[in-house]
Amino acid sequence: MKKVDILTRVEGEGKIWIDLKDGKVKDVILNIYEAPRFIEGLLKGKSYEVIPHITARICGICPVAYQMSGVQAVEDAFGISVSPEVEKLRKLFYYGEWIQSHGIHVFFLHLPDFYGKSSIFEIAKEDRDLLINGLKIKNIGGKIIEIIGGRVSHPVSAAAGGFTKYPEEKELKELIPDIQEAVDLSIYFLKKFSKFRFPDGNIEGLQFVSLFKENEYPILNGDIISDKGLKLSKDEFDSIFLEFQAPYSTAKKCRIKGKEKYVVGPISRFNNNYEKLSQTALKVSKEIGLKPFEKNSFKTILIRLIEIIHSLEKSVEIIKSYKKPDEKINIRTKRSAGTGISEAPRGILWHKYSFDEDGKILEANIVPPTSQNQDAMEDTVKNYLNRISVGDINKMVFEAEKIIRNFDPCISCATHFLKIDRDLKKCRIF
Amino acid sequence: MRIGVFKFASCDGCQIAFFDMSDKLLDLGFQIDYFIEAQSTNRFNEFDLSFVEGSISTPEQENLIKKIREKSKKLITIGACADSGGIQSIRNFMDFKEVLSSVYPNPDYIKTLEKSKPVSDYVNVDLEIRGCPINPHQLYEVVVSLYLGKTPYLPEYPLCLECKRKGNPCVLVLGKPCLGSVIKAGCGALCPSFNAGCYGCYGPVEKPNLDSLKEIFRERGLGDLYEKILTSFNGYNRVYRERYEKG
Repeated sequence: MKKVDILTRVEGEGKIWIDLKDGKVKDVILNIYEAPRFIEGLLKGKSYEVIPHITARICGICPVAYQMSGVQAVEDAFGISVSPEVEKLRKLFYYGEWIQSHGIHVFFLHLPDFYGKSSIFEIAKEDRDLLINGLKIKNIGGKIIEIIGGRVSHPVSAAAGGFTKYPEEKELKELIPDIQEAVDLSIYFLKKFSKFRFPDGNIEGLQFVSLFKENEYPILNGDIISDKGLKLSKDEFDSIFLEFQAPYSTAKKCRIKGKEKYVVGPISRFNNNYEKLSQTALKVSKEIGLKPFEKNSFKTILIRLIEIIHSLEKSVEIIKSYKKPDEKINIRTKRSAGTGISEAPRGILWHKYSFDEDGKILEANIVPPTSQNQDAMEDTVKNYLNRISVGDINKMVFEAEKIIRNFDPCISCATHFLKIDRDLKKCRIF
Repeated sequence: MRIGVFKFASCDGCQIAFFDMSDKLLDLGFQIDYFIEAQSTNRFNEFDLSFVEGSISTPEQENLIKKIREKSKKLITIGACADSGGIQSIRNFMDFKEVLSSVYPNPDYIKTLEKSKPVSDYVNVDLEIRGCPINPHQLYEVVVSLYLGKTPYLPEYPLCLECKRKGNPCVLVLGKPCLGSVIKAGCGALCPSFNAGCYGCYGPVEKPNLDSLKEIFRERGLGDLYEKILTSFNGYNRVYRERYEKG
């Protein structure tokens, strides 16, 4: 017996298939039918300069992540390093995106599940302040991106070598009062939401993979680590994380050495880097009793709020010490290849390019977080459904959808790379 | 008023604008009947206003957009994908089989149309909101105007006017490839304000002087104008296509 449903409150279009045998869930399949857009194929033959603009269009919710992994890959290829000031501004840009993207997920996509409502619009009919204050938090992230990049979705100023224009100190400093208000609101919501009832949606038997930096909670770059002792550099990514095709499907998945399943995203960052959270973020996590090792996917709503608080606090730090960089973008192309990795809101995002001597793209390979999390989503749904053992298939689908949302999948992102399709019977998906 | 928000091939970046104005929509008493990304209960009945994000690029989407049209009093496309075919329409100018097999190891399983096309290639569109992504202020202008029964005001003039208004030095004169003189205004001349040439997110004005700009690009060694447009977000827009067909 199988059931197909349309996933709602996720970015992009997908379905879940639940395969039942003797009342037990035998298999769960996340089926993605979002139309492919072939971004990697379209990049070939174009100049390295289009990378931040074209790859941003993969995702309207995390374009900064694509821009940052992309420009760092170009810089790696051409042997360019940027100043610490530029690096700091990039982090601020990226914190803006974590705040904005997590804000969307926490309030608009995830929260209705805890209220038993269809949408935040429904919640707002009874509690208008929640919507207004949730928007305030989300929007301050957007405002940071806008000042640095001109607009929230697909900002225009990011480039290999720096930014085409740097913001004035004054513009950034004016944001501080609103950022501080957002910190207070986020702490209020964190405490309020920590009292929700969290079902046991544990992620079992998987490695938790994130970036690692010696003295900071990773965001812009770093090495790759797991809770099971894995450690490698960004250049080794494609020799360890192997994409493979299961014999029964054409869906490409990604596993450590082609075998071990893993999960990326806020829950992995949190577990692997907890002590490096900003002061307030760490303090409030301790207050609500949230600490490693957290495996419950339902609690990611709290982890995202903690990462919002961390990002807000770090943003203030960067703004207070901001000095407008004066460097000009100066690129010399050569025949070469490079990689870039960063922590997108949903987890590690890896880019690899090779270029000819004029900087034209020969090959592009992008591995977004959501395609890496396919196993984690399917396994967690299966374990959860068997644990709660509800007999009714409609109820099962309803619960399965909640687990999928815990991972904040961005199907629009995944589609361009997921070698999508799992041929269940005659179901041929794009 | 009953609203539907629909998504086809796209990045989700335009429909997010509805999140930002959700508070105002509730104030105005709009009923959001269909919006898969925002709510788990959705109704596909009759819509006063349907907003469509994304390009049509699979056979299923072709059928669905026709159904949406039948059920909607007004159909508004939002963003470059729905208006022009989007960045994914670059494939319309390439060898499709090659693109397909460079991304998918088993291209046989991929069911997709050879071309990514604008919504207006399939059904009648009442209004286009341009941009990649759209400007949320323009969306709000459209929603409120239609609510009040007046014609929304969206600029028809080229981006250059926004630059002049902001006092930006002309980046084309400064040697950067800028499409601003043939592109619709609406973003606030963002790229030139950030020392870069406009790359055409808002698509062409109704009668762009492409030949003249092509000549300027050639004279200044800024590359081929058509190549620049083709590899951009509105390359498959009707206005450009008519021009390419002339040769």
